[in-house]
Amino acid sequence: MSLWQKCLEQLENQLNAQQFNTWIRPLQAVEEEGALRLLAPNRFVLDWVSEKFRGDIEKILTHIEGAAAPQIKFEIGSVKRATVPEPETSPQPAKAEKAKKGDSNAAGGVFRRRNDSKDLNHISNLRDEFTFDTFVEGKSNQIAKAASIQIGENPGVAYNPLFLYGGVGLGKTHLMHAVGNLMLQKSAKSRIVYVHSERFVGDMVKALQHNAMNDFKRYYRSVDALLIDDIQFFAGKDRSQEELFHTFNALIEGHQQIIISCDRYPKEIDGLEERLKSRFGWGLTVAIDPPELETRVAILMSKAQQMNIDLPNEVAFFIAKRIRSNVRELEGALRRVIANSRFMARAITIDFTKEALRDLLALQDKLVTIDNIQKTVAEYYKIRLSDLLSKKRSRSIARPRQIAMALSKELTNHSLPEIGSAFGGRDHTTVLHGCKKIGELRESDSKIDEDYQNLLRTLRT
Amino acid sequence: MTQLPLSIHLSESATFANFVVGENALVVAALQQACRREAQERFIYLWGGPGDGRSHLLQAACHEVARHQEGRGSLYLPLSEAAQLAPEMLEGMEQMGLVAIDDVEAIAGDSRWEEALFHLYNRMRDEGGGALIVSASSPLSSSPLRLPDLKSRLAWGLVFQLRGLDDSGKLKALQQGAQGRGLDLPDEVGGYLLRHYRRDLADLLALLERLDQVSLAAQRRLTIPFVKEVIDAD
Repeated sequence: MSLWQKCLEQLENQLNAQQFNTWIRPLQAVEEEGALRLLAPNRFVLDWVSEKFRGDIEKILTHIEGAAAPQIKFEIGSVKRATVPEPETSPQPAKAEKAKKGDSNAAGGVFRRRNDSKDLNHISNLRDEFTFDTFVEGKSNQIAKAASIQIGENPGVAYNPLFLYGGVGLGKTHLMHAVGNLMLQKSAKSRIVYVHSERFVGDMVKALQHNAMNDFKRYYRSVDALLIDDIQFFAGKDRSQEELFHTFNALIEGHQQIIISCDRYPKEIDGLEERLKSRFGWGLTVAIDPPELETRVAILMSKAQQMNIDLPNEVAFFIAKRIRSNVRELEGALRRVIANSRFMARAITIDFTKEALRDLLALQDKLVTIDNIQKTVAEYYKIRLSDLLSKKRSRSIARPRQIAMALSKELTNHSLPEIGSAFGGRDHTTVLHGCKKIGELRESDSKIDEDYQNLLRTLRT
Repeated sequence: MTQLPLSIHLSESATFANFVVGENALVVAALQQACRREAQERFIYLWGGPGDGRSHLLQAACHEVARHQEGRGSLYLPLSEAAQLAPEMLEGMEQMGLVAIDDVEAIAGDSRWEEALFHLYNRMRDEGGGALIVSASSPLSSSPLRLPDLKSRLAWGLVFQLRGLDDSGKLKALQQGAQGRGLDLPDEVGGYLLRHYRRDLADLLALLERLDQVSLAAQRRLTIPFVKEVIDAD
């Protein structure tokens, strides 16, 4: 067992579990001659651990190793990228080294020169699975798809920029990747960069920190196509907008393709400079709407096929009717159905699907209260609520009362004394007796059991 | 940081083995697979009521990652503590084998946190390969989270509702918690608690902690008269 593992065991005993799981588990250790390097994923964790737990760790190390205990060194990074040094002190060669390994996401950002040439090492970030073939077309997205294909065939010529907008989870990102993949298919040497707005902003901040703005500019201006996702995240970031503006102009002038996605129409983006908004409208602006029922069904069928799942048509309709908002939720629902079917080794039917989707559709979302139970039971048996709570002991009243008590015990977390007092100040033993009675009756009397089930269903949905 | 109400963790860390499964077998299986990298599904949204065991499961998942993916880190982040933390602590977390976010509603409406989570999700999807488990007290359809981009991504993975335990399950959980503290909780005493005290497991486990302290101080075993005294003093 390594020294750090021994140390972890003791820390786990000493700290409370939450502290251990929040602050110690994210650390990774590298043991070296005379030193234990502890790698934290970020500055925040590093500072916290170093301030609050350094002493504990040192004590344990001394306890285990005595005078030979290694010195602790805190660093930001992780074992795979083990030696990502602190940005402030990072020497250039280390970064170039990482770029060669194809590590696209090192702390320094993506824009960096290859060691051996003046070429920039463009990293496309494209996902292979997002192609036009896997994009299900419907009324809601056919114009966007057609425009995207044209651009993929003739980048920089047809429409520049292409501005795709629409709500979340409707396939904007999929289309952007599909264009990029088509361009690569046509010309493997195309320099295409897909980037989420956050990444563009992050890269720029790092470039500023490292005095590498020229590299940054060269990187983003030397692409054949720049695909920027979720442009709304530029809102309020003035310096990044400025840089985007210049990048935009340079690309348009060079007939290099730009595709932008956004959750709304350009003019409606708050916190974005007017000059950017107006430029976004220079090319083609296309909306993607939520898919209509038939398209949702087709999406489900296509997704199931990709996953090698036999999805009956009526089940696809069932899901598509209930999940209406966006494609991600649709896919989430399908995943859940498939997970259930695998786990229980059962075929996918409508009833099965209903059961599997209970958690998503949140049929039990409604908070069940004792009040609610009493009202529902009174209505069900067509008796007065006041009778249910009264001292009356005739069976036509007492039985529903016991059912209501049993339901209260099953559906709420109230204590039995609380339930008793909610039923006209009865003792908790009365409640217990009622619950027991109903339990027995449900075994022997199918009518009672049916009533109970009906009420349960009504209350839960 | 304050201590979890599920304080069995003090003496025994939360694991899948000491979780009383009840009707949640599928959830537990899905979490285990995600932690062992056996499943395709590594994004999970888990919602349920208080005391349904979300915090337990999330910490058990961290434990599982440590066991099955040696050397890979994990993060358990209770956002109920967000006031003391900062969204910057999510930076670089895509490197973890698992990020377990508890009580996501605690940061609902805080755009810095919501965006940071959204970006973390994207990074984990694009590069990390680790699992992301988010817990909440409401389903996404009524979640107070404001950023639609974040919500739709959470809905993209597997969504589960945790189901609370019935009385016999609660009794089992209580007895396990007691055992973890070296306490003996006889059936009849546990049954008494369930009949006389609130039946929310979080409350019951908190009561157990108090019983532990008081019984230690008074040098008494857990008997019905003793337990009654403690409840009545409540």
